[in-house]
Amino acid sequence: MSALRVALPGGILLDGACDLLAAAGIARLDARRFDSELRVADSGHAFVKVRPTDIPVYVEMGACDCGIVGKDVLWETRRECYELVDLRFGECRLVLAAPRGSPLVDGKWTGTLRVATKYPHAAARFFDEVGTTVELIRLHGSVELAPATRLADAVLDITATGRTLAANDLIEVAEAGVSTARLIANVAALKTRSDDVNMVAAALRRAAATRAVQGAA
Amino acid sequence: MSSTGRMDAPALGLGSRGRAGGFSDWLVGAAARRRRLTETFVQTFEVWGYGYIATPLVEPLATVAAGVGPARQAQLFRFMDADGDMLALVGERTVSVARVVATQLQRGPFPLRLGYAGPVLRNQALHGGRRRESLQAGCELIGHSGLAADAECIALAATALDKAGMRDVQVDVGHADFVPGLLDSAGVDAHLQRDVLGALERRDLVAVETALQATEMAEAERRLLLAFPALRGGREILDTAMQDVRGERPRRALQDLAALWDLLDAHGITDRVHLDLGAVRDWDYYTGPTFEVFSEDSGFPLGSGGRYDGLLERFGLPEPATGFVLHVDRCLDTLTRRTGDVLVVAPVQVTWAAGAHRAALELARGLHVAGLACTCGLAPGSGLDGDRSVYVDTKRVRWTIDGRAGDGDRGAALAAVLQALRPRR
Repeated sequence: MSALRVALPGGILLDGACDLLAAAGIARLDARRFDSELRVADSGHAFVKVRPTDIPVYVEMGACDCGIVGKDVLWETRRECYELVDLRFGECRLVLAAPRGSPLVDGKWTGTLRVATKYPHAAARFFDEVGTTVELIRLHGSVELAPATRLADAVLDITATGRTLAANDLIEVAEAGVSTARLIANVAALKTRSDDVNMVAAALRRAAATRAVQGAA
Repeated sequence: MSSTGRMDAPALGLGSRGRAGGFSDWLVGAAARRRRLTETFVQTFEVWGYGYIATPLVEPLATVAAGVGPARQAQLFRFMDADGDMLALVGERTVSVARVVATQLQRGPFPLRLGYAGPVLRNQALHGGRRRESLQAGCELIGHSGLAADAECIALAATALDKAGMRDVQVDVGHADFVPGLLDSAGVDAHLQRDVLGALERRDLVAVETALQATEMAEAERRLLLAFPALRGGREILDTAMQDVRGERPRRALQDLAALWDLLDAHGITDRVHLDLGAVRDWDYYTGPTFEVFSEDSGFPLGSGGRYDGLLERFGLPEPATGFVLHVDRCLDTLTRRTGDVLVVAPVQVTWAAGAHRAALELARGLHVAGLACTCGLAPGSGLDGDRSVYVDTKRVRWTIDGRAGDGDRGAALAAVLQALRPRR
């Protein structure tokens, strides 16, 4: 088997990605190795750690053959890659939340809603579907501050535990989507290295399914 | 100038030193290689009987919109002319060829074989690593609905790449009607069919899986669809698929692919061909066999094509058509990645001492007539004073010719220089 170049996301998905690669028998990677080096070779493959939002860039341009990335990143990218497998870890939800006491919480909102979000594409799709007129304000961080400072009426943001929302007195109004980690592949690599990419995809799919069953048991 | 000085605002007061973002300049060497690559493609097309045509860079927006889906339309550079008509810079050239055929070559003779090469423009987001202007060379074969036409186009694309030094490409051949036919004959309702096809086109296989799990269809057919992207291989995968597929439409697509494989084998290119049953691209545009060309050295397809029997009808001429496009700049990237940049070959330099300008020009003229690249000095060469000689320099060797020699001797000198400079075979 020839080496695949795999992009792994720095941040909260890194441990899960390394664990799953090990469970699938693809590579034995300790996430801490990436503290000192950004490129790690293991089990015949080359791994790089990059920012999650850069993973589709590396993969689309062919700098990496495949990558592991959260669906929330894919919502916002226009990069063309194959989305091969739902890896079923790193789950978080995209929710619409408003301050306690907002008429939105009682479903009594009329007029244009101002929503702060880090996910303008996913937000636009969601509000198109529910038929609400919104003005989206794109922020790059600390979205939960927007209602308290009157920057926006509500936020559309990712939550895993709901703690940040609660700490800022924000009430979930609706769920706009669920994100988990995905395996993505370069368009050409899926054809020119199809045996290797498909083997990795199948192994990860099996490992993810096994863990989902164990997790449920 | 210091290196920080170079980062200062340029003289024109524009960003990017006066060049529009997402566009490239091609300098000496690279530009020449790009031109030669285009010529290699076009010459191969002509050898196969595809007449070269040139179409405008600008088309009415309505014309361009007839051939490309909403996603590509959003990438068009558009503008309004003085009459208020909406125009667009072409994002591909098949539509232009279709327009020409339907309006000026509608009497044929069919089948009609046409080739083209030219720039196309797409309004890609900046800083994404994608070019806004690129070169495309392609062929259209119009007026024949048989698979022999599809096979000819695939073989021609492979041959043109071969001629340009890319024999080790991989050609993935699929059929635009296989997956839609499979969904349709499996009784999947129209709404869900669109979901699945849309997801396949977006290359979102997780969404395909989710959508298929919600449908009622025969287990064998569901398995076949979920097996994408593993539905690839040689002639043998058709027999495997045939066992699982009962619907008439998908079976017809499989029979087409079997016949096409035999034709491609007769063309001698099956060493490069993979069949790819899960291929779904522009499913409302392509109507028959489709293909994409890949290389290990490129993350993007080098070319693509297929049968599009519905396009000419949109211009009032119901003729079937098939064709392909090669992405010249991606091919160039691939070649450059393999061999490195091609160095600019320094032309031969003719220099001369005072009094020998006339003899130098005569010699240079002789080299030009023989097709050898050379430059002639515009002023006497320094350090060459007084001896009335002409010097011919290459990187390796220098000849000295007496500028006062008679006609016969000068002719003999030219012949000697030509003899020495001719590339040895």
